[in-house]
Amino acid sequence: MTKAQDEASAGDLRDAVQWSFASLEAAIDALAEKHGIAIEEKHWRRAGAAAELHQNGVLPKDLSDLHELLNEERKGMFYEGEDPDLGDLTIEDALIEIETAVETAEAEAER
Amino acid sequence: MTTGESWASLAPRRGALTSLEPASPRAWSDRLLFDRERVSRYQSTQVAEITEAVQRRARAAGASAAILSGSTARGRRTGVSDLDYQIVGRTPPEVRDLPEDIDLYADAPERFWAKLRDGDDFTHWSVWYGCVLFDSGIVRDAARWIAEHDAWPDPERKLRQAHHALDFAARMAESGDYGATLEQARGALSLAARWLLLSRDVFPLARDELPEQLTEVGLAELGRVLHRCIHERPSERDLREALAQARLITEAKRSGPRRLAA
Repeated sequence: MTKAQDEASAGDLRDAVQWSFASLEAAIDALAEKHGIAIEEKHWRRAGAAAELHQNGVLPKDLSDLHELLNEERKGMFYEGEDPDLGDLTIEDALIEIETAVETAEAEAER
Repeated sequence: MTTGESWASLAPRRGALTSLEPASPRAWSDRLLFDRERVSRYQSTQVAEITEAVQRRARAAGASAAILSGSTARGRRTGVSDLDYQIVGRTPPEVRDLPEDIDLYADAPERFWAKLRDGDDFTHWSVWYGCVLFDSGIVRDAARWIAEHDAWPDPERKLRQAHHALDFAARMAESGDYGATLEQARGALSLAARWLLLSRDVFPLARDELPEQLTEVGLAELGRVLHRCIHERPSERDLREALAQARLITEAKRSGPRRLAA
């Protein structure tokens, strides 16, 4: 998360997107494990878990769309060398959403 | 040997597609038959249902062609395999609701051709080894064009991708996130492997086949490491060493990667 914020501050959108995605996935993994949602290291299951965690009141927002957007952009960079395009969303907006998920995961881990 | 058998043994070597004469109506008909057999043989019931949905949605969106690509088309799916599709059409079909990690490349015909000319290896891969699900003729024309021009994926594109991916994977390894590091390392090492093979006129097959292909060209150690990243959970230290080794190979390109890698 810190790395994502650092890269965003430095204006490196490519790395910011990569670290943001990794942070979001780590937060979803931690929360999913705590709430008995199977992930099996599959991205599509993490997207589903993000929606389920919101439906269960664990996360204040459904982050499945953000997860899918970051995943698509990450793959575009990785395999096609494309620059990320978050559309109407700014990386700062995305980081606020992800930070909430990370903080929720940290709080649940401490319980 | 019949033409159908020839498609089954299409060698991953530069020029091999040309020898099958894809411009011949008989040869292409055999290819489509071979593809239908593979689609039937290599897919589980669940994967087949997803492919059917992708195909149906691509047709409804007005696509010119759809190809099942990647490890599934080779019958080499692993626990970490995605489902890969190449669609030729202006409107990408919606697949986000389908229960699998799907990599779907939907390209308008002009972009599909541009990617072939630019040496995009996934586009070439789909034409060489993918299973054609339906085709208005553009995939057949692409195969004919590749054969006539001895067209080949651009190794330099792969090298650039490998550089970026190895760099990021090495930084991810420092973060302590093992799962993300393993995934990044697997992807980065695969990119490096594909570059190494393409630059030796060997067509890289499915990810699970790369270790054997690397061994065949004298890169057994890299092959072993990649195999472990696909099928095992190497230690963080092993991952870091593997990434460093791959980085050394890619950076040594100008001074002779074959000598260093061996």
